Amino acid sequence: MSTVPSAARRLRISRLRGSNNEGVLVVAIAVLATVVGLVSPSFWSVATLLNVGTNSLENAVFAMAVLIVMVSGGIDVSFMAIGIFAGYSVIVLGNATGIAADSAWLGFMIAIAIGLALGLLNAFAIAVLRLPTLIATLGTQTIIRGVMLAFIGRKVIPDYPPGLESLSTTYLFTDYAAIATRLNVMIVPSIVICIVVSLMLRYTLVGRGIFAIGGDAESARRAGFPVTRLRVLIYLMAGALAATAGMMHVTQVRLANPYELVGGELDVIAAVVLGGASIFGGKGSVSGTVLGVVLIALINYSLILLGVPGAWQRAAVGALLLIGVSAQALSAAGRHRRGTIVQAEEAAA
Amino acid sequence: MSGDHPLLVAQGISKHFGGVAALDDVSLEVRPGEVHCIAGENGSGKSTLIKIISGVVTPDAGVIEVGCETYRHLTPRQAIGAGIEVIFQDFSLFPNLTVAENIAVSSLIAHGRRTVRPPELRRIARAVIERIGVDLDLDARVEDLSVADRQLTAICRALAQDARIIFMDEPTTALTWREVRALFQIVASLRESGVALVFVSHKIEEVLRISQRITVLRNGKVVVSGEAAEFDRPALIRAMTGRMLSERRPSDTNWREMPPILEVQGLGLGGYFEGVTFDVRPGEVLGVTGLLGSGRTEIAEALFGVRPADTGTVRVNGQPVVVNSVRDAVRAGFGYVPADRLSEGLFLDQSIARNVIAGSLDLLVGRLNLLRQSVADRVAQTTLTDLRVKMSSSRAPVRSLSGGNQQRVVLAKWLARSPRILILNSPTVGVDVGSKHEILEMLRAKSREGMGIIVISDDVPELLEVCHRVLVVRRGRIVAELTGDGLTEKTILDELAA
Amino acid sequence: MTDPSAVIQRLLPERSLLRLAAFAIVVLVVFSLMSKPFFTVINFQSMGFQVAEVGLLSLAVMLTMLTGGIDLSIVSIASVAALVTAQLFAATGAAETTAMTPVLTAVFILVGMLAGTLTGLVNGLLITRLRVTPILATLGTMQLINGLMVAWTNGRAIYGMPDVFLAIGTGTVLLAPIAIVVLMAAALLTAAFMNRTGTGLRLKLVGANPTAARYSGLDNGRVLMLTYLASAFLASLAGIIIASRAASASADYGTSYVLVAIVICMLAGVNPNGGYATVTGVVIAAFTLQMVASGLNQIGWNTFHYQIVQGVLLIAVIGLNTFSEQGLLSGLLGRLRRRRPVGTRPAKAEPGP
Repeated sequence: MSTVPSAARRLRISRLRGSNNEGVLVVAIAVLATVVGLVSPSFWSVATLLNVGTNSLENAVFAMAVLIVMVSGGIDVSFMAIGIFAGYSVIVLGNATGIAADSAWLGFMIAIAIGLALGLLNAFAIAVLRLPTLIATLGTQTIIRGVMLAFIGRKVIPDYPPGLESLSTTYLFTDYAAIATRLNVMIVPSIVICIVVSLMLRYTLVGRGIFAIGGDAESARRAGFPVTRLRVLIYLMAGALAATAGMMHVTQVRLANPYELVGGELDVIAAVVLGGASIFGGKGSVSGTVLGVVLIALINYSLILLGVPGAWQRAAVGALLLIGVSAQALSAAGRHRRGTIVQAEEAAA
Repeated sequence: MSGDHPLLVAQGISKHFGGVAALDDVSLEVRPGEVHCIAGENGSGKSTLIKIISGVVTPDAGVIEVGCETYRHLTPRQAIGAGIEVIFQDFSLFPNLTVAENIAVSSLIAHGRRTVRPPELRRIARAVIERIGVDLDLDARVEDLSVADRQLTAICRALAQDARIIFMDEPTTALTWREVRALFQIVASLRESGVALVFVSHKIEEVLRISQRITVLRNGKVVVSGEAAEFDRPALIRAMTGRMLSERRPSDTNWREMPPILEVQGLGLGGYFEGVTFDVRPGEVLGVTGLLGSGRTEIAEALFGVRPADTGTVRVNGQPVVVNSVRDAVRAGFGYVPADRLSEGLFLDQSIARNVIAGSLDLLVGRLNLLRQSVADRVAQTTLTDLRVKMSSSRAPVRSLSGGNQQRVVLAKWLARSPRILILNSPTVGVDVGSKHEILEMLRAKSREGMGIIVISDDVPELLEVCHRVLVVRRGRIVAELTGDGLTEKTILDELAA
Repeated sequence: MTDPSAVIQRLLPERSLLRLAAFAIVVLVVFSLMSKPFFTVINFQSMGFQVAEVGLLSLAVMLTMLTGGIDLSIVSIASVAALVTAQLFAATGAAETTAMTPVLTAVFILVGMLAGTLTGLVNGLLITRLRVTPILATLGTMQLINGLMVAWTNGRAIYGMPDVFLAIGTGTVLLAPIAIVVLMAAALLTAAFMNRTGTGLRLKLVGANPTAARYSGLDNGRVLMLTYLASAFLASLAGIIIASRAASASADYGTSYVLVAIVICMLAGVNPNGGYATVTGVVIAAFTLQMVASGLNQIGWNTFHYQIVQGVLLIAVIGLNTFSEQGLLSGLLGRLRRRRPVGTRPAKAEPGP
C-alpha cells in the first residue's frame, strides 16, 4: 500500500519529536540560541548559562507542582501565591522569633509545612467539594494572598535570618568575566527535585495513579485507585513543591517582597504546556517541562540581552503559549484523523 | 470441571430505588466453566443486579454466596477479592496508558504495591495475553486501539486479577460480527479453564448463540431460568417482553414505480469509501450494512455533511445539491439520527422541547432573529405526541427519559422539520424490544408518506424487518444489493463475511 | 410517574435565583444594621458607579461560560478599548470642550470599542479555527495583549479626556448613575439576545453539547466566534466606563476583575460547563458583591480582607451548589413533597406550552 512508507516516516518523525514535544523544544532552543548568538555575540558566554540556570532553578520546581496537577487533569493557578506566602512567612517568622536563625534547612522545612497546609486547602476545595480546578485555585489564590497581605505583612524585608542569608550567597559557580554572574547552590536541590518527581511519576503506583486519573478518573476508581486520596496527595505535593520554589525565590533575591510572584503564573504554566503536558490530563513529562522552563528563561534573558523592554517579555511568553497550544491542538486534530484512517485500513486488510 | 458446585449464588436479592422495585426477590446461580446469560429489556434490572454483585450497590435484602463466604452485601474490594470482575460497556480503560499498564495496574493495586517496574508490567500482561492466545501490542496506547482490541484489553485485565467470574455488560454493542465471533472463541477457551462468564445482553441472537444457561429478567423479577437448549427465539422474545411479536417483512411494493427521491453517483472520500452509487425512492426503506470500519457510517456522515465527500454527485428530487457542511445537508432536506445517541444526538440536561426544535431553529425565527416561541412549542408538542414519547412534561430534561424515549426525541428533532431523506445509524441500539418495534413501525409509516429512509445497521433481523432493499458495504465499496427473495439472514451474513 | 430528579432539575434555576436573592437581602440587612451610612442614597449611588464595570465584565464571562468556555482576557480587552479611546483624545487634543466634542467623543468611543471587540476576534479565531481550549487561548491572549499594551504606553497612564466622556462614569440621571443605566441596557439586551433569539438558543445548545449541536446542523464555529466577539464587546464597554470613572486609561487594570467576574457568575448559578446562565442572576450577584465590598469597607476592612471574602465566597458558593446537586437539598425537598397531600396541583410547576 502506498501509505506504508509515509506511515513509517510519520513514525520516525514522531519518535524524533519525542512523546512530549522534547525534540521540538530542543530544536527551538537551538534555533533561538543560534539567532540570538548571531545578533549578540556576548550571548555565547558562561554568563548566559548561569543566568538561565538562576532563573530556571526556582521555576523548574514551580513547574513540577503545575505538571503534577496538570497530568491529573487539573490546572493550578494558586502555586505562586503559595510560594510567596511560604517564603515571605518564613522570613517574617524567622526575624520575629529567631526560629530557623542558623539553619536554612529549618527554614525550608517550615516553608514546606506551610505549603502542605495551603495545599490541603486546595485539596479540600477540589477533592472534597469537587470544584472545577481553575475556579477553585483562583479562589484559593485570592484567599492565600489576602491572608498574607492582611495578617502577615505588607513590607518589603531586606534582613534575613543568618542561615538563609548565608545560603543566598552560597554559589556553585561564579563567573567574573565582565560583571560577576553567579549560580546559587540551590540548583542542586532543584535538579534533585526534578529527578525525584520524574521517578515518582514513572515508577510508583502513585505516579501511575496520577496519570490514570488524568486519563479517566472513573476508570481509575473502578481499577481500585483510591481516587480521592490521590487527589488530596496531588495538591499536597503541589503545595509542598510550590512552597519550596517560593522559598528558593525569596532566598535568591534576598529581598522578601510579598507583592512578588503572583501574576507571573503564566511563565510557568506556559513552560509546562510547551513541555507537552495536556490540560485535559494524562499527558506530560518532567523532561519536556524542564526544557519548556529553560526555553522561557532563555527567551526572557535574550530579550534583556537584546535590549528589548520588559513589557515585551510578557507579550513574548503569551505569544509562545499561544503558538505552543495551537501547534498541539492542530497535531491532535491530525492524529485523530490519522487514527480513523488506520482503523479503516485495518478493517480493510 | 465440577459443574455441580456453583461459583456464585445470589438469593432473594431485592433493591428499591425510591418507591420503585428495581429488583424483586431475584436469584442467580453461576457454575464454573459456564456461559450464563442474563437477558432482559432495558430497565428490567440487569444493570442493578451486576452492580450489586460487583459491590457497587448495596441490596435491600438477600444474600450472596461466593466461594465459601456468605455476604449480606459485598464491597467492591471483597468482590474483586472473591474473583468477580465486571467489564462495563465503556471498558473503564485508561486511554493514555499502554496496554501492558492497563492490564497489570489493577493487580498491582490489589497486591498493595507501591512501585511499578515496566518489565514486571509486561510480564504480567504477556502471561495473560498468551493464556487466551490473542495478539495485542503491549506498548500501544489504548487510545490508538480499535474497539475490539480495547475490549480484549479489558478482558485481559480481568484475567490478570485471577478473575473466576467475569461479567460483561452488553459486550457486543460496539463490535462487528466478525469481532463478535472472535470474542466467542475467546469465551470458549476461557470456559475450558474453569472461568465462568456472565453476559448481560438484550440481543436475542447472541444470547441464544453462546450461552449454556439463560436467566431472563423482566420488571425486576426472574421470569425464567434454565438451559439454553430449552429456549428458541420466539420463546425468548416472549419471556423478555411478555408478549408475542410477529416477525413481519415489509411487503408493499408501490415504491418501485416512483422516481427516486435521492440519487447518489460515484460518491467517494479519500481513505474511507469510493464509487458509491445508489438511489432511494419515496416509500422505500433502504438498508445499508457492513462491518465496523467498512465505511457504512462514513458514507452516511458524508451525505449529512459531517465529513463531506470529495468526489461524486448527490441529487435530491432530481436537483443536484452540494453538501459541504451539516447545514447544507439540512437545507437540502437531509436528517440524520447518529449512532451515538447520548453524545451526538441529545442535549441531556436541556428540556425535551428544546431538543426537538434544535434542528429547526432556522425555520422558527422571525424578525430580528427572534424565536417564535409559541410556534416552537406547538411544533415540539405535535411531534412528541406523534411519536408517543412518554414524559411528564416537555420541559423536563431529556436525561430523565428511558433509552427508547430518548431515541424518539432524536427522531422528533428531524421529523419536526419534515426532512425529505432521513438517515438512521443503528437506530435501535440500546432501545428495549418493545420500543424497537414501535420505532421501526414509525419508519415504515413515514416511508409510506413519501419520506426516503436509509437505515444503517448491523442488526440483521432489524434490517429484515424494516428494509425493502439492503446494500452491503465492504472496504469502502458497495459490494451487493439484496432485495426480494435474495434478502435473507443468510445472504446478508454471507456478504458481510465474504 | 414523574421522575423526582426531573422535577428537581426543573426547579434548579429558579431555586438558585431564590437563594441568591435571599443572600442579597441578608447582606443588605446585615450591613444596614452594622453601618449607619450604608443604607443611604449617597452610598447606593457610589456603589452604582462601581458596579457597572464589574457587572459588564461578569456578563462577558457569563456568555462564554454559557458555551462551556471562559474568557480570562476580558481585562486586557477592556484596557485596549480604554487606551485606544484615550490615545485618540490625546492625539487630537480633543480634551478641550468645543462644539464638536460630543460627536468626537462618540466617534472615539466607537473606535475604541471596535478595537477591543476586534481583539476578541483573536480569541474567536484561536478557539474556532485552531481549536485551542478557551482557558489556554484566553490566558495567552490576556498576557500577549497586556504585554503589547504596556509596551505601547511604556506602562504610563493616559490622561486628558473631555467632560462629556467623564460624565459616563461619574454623571447621574434622576439620581441613577449613567453607568448603571448603561449596565442595565446592556443586561436587557443580553437577556433578550440569550432568551429570545435563535442565536441565543444556539449558544446554550453548543454549550450543552457541542457534538450534538454539530449533528443538529448548528454552525458551532460561528456561534463560538460570536460569543467571544460579544464577550469582547461587553468587556470593551466596561473598559470605557472604567476609563471615564478613573479619568485615565492604562494597561494596568487589575487582573482581580477576572476573579470578581467569575465569583459573580458562580454566585448567579451559571454552569461553568455550559448550557445554563441567567442575566438576572448575574445582575443581582454583581450588586450583592458590590454591597459586600462597600459594607466591609465601611466597617473598616481593607481590600485584602475583601479579597479573602471573595475567595471564600467563591468556594463556599460552588461547594454549596455541588452538595445540593448531590442530593442534600433534594432529599429535603423530596421529604417536603411527600408530606403534601397527593393530587394537589401536581402540574403547577410546569406551565405547559
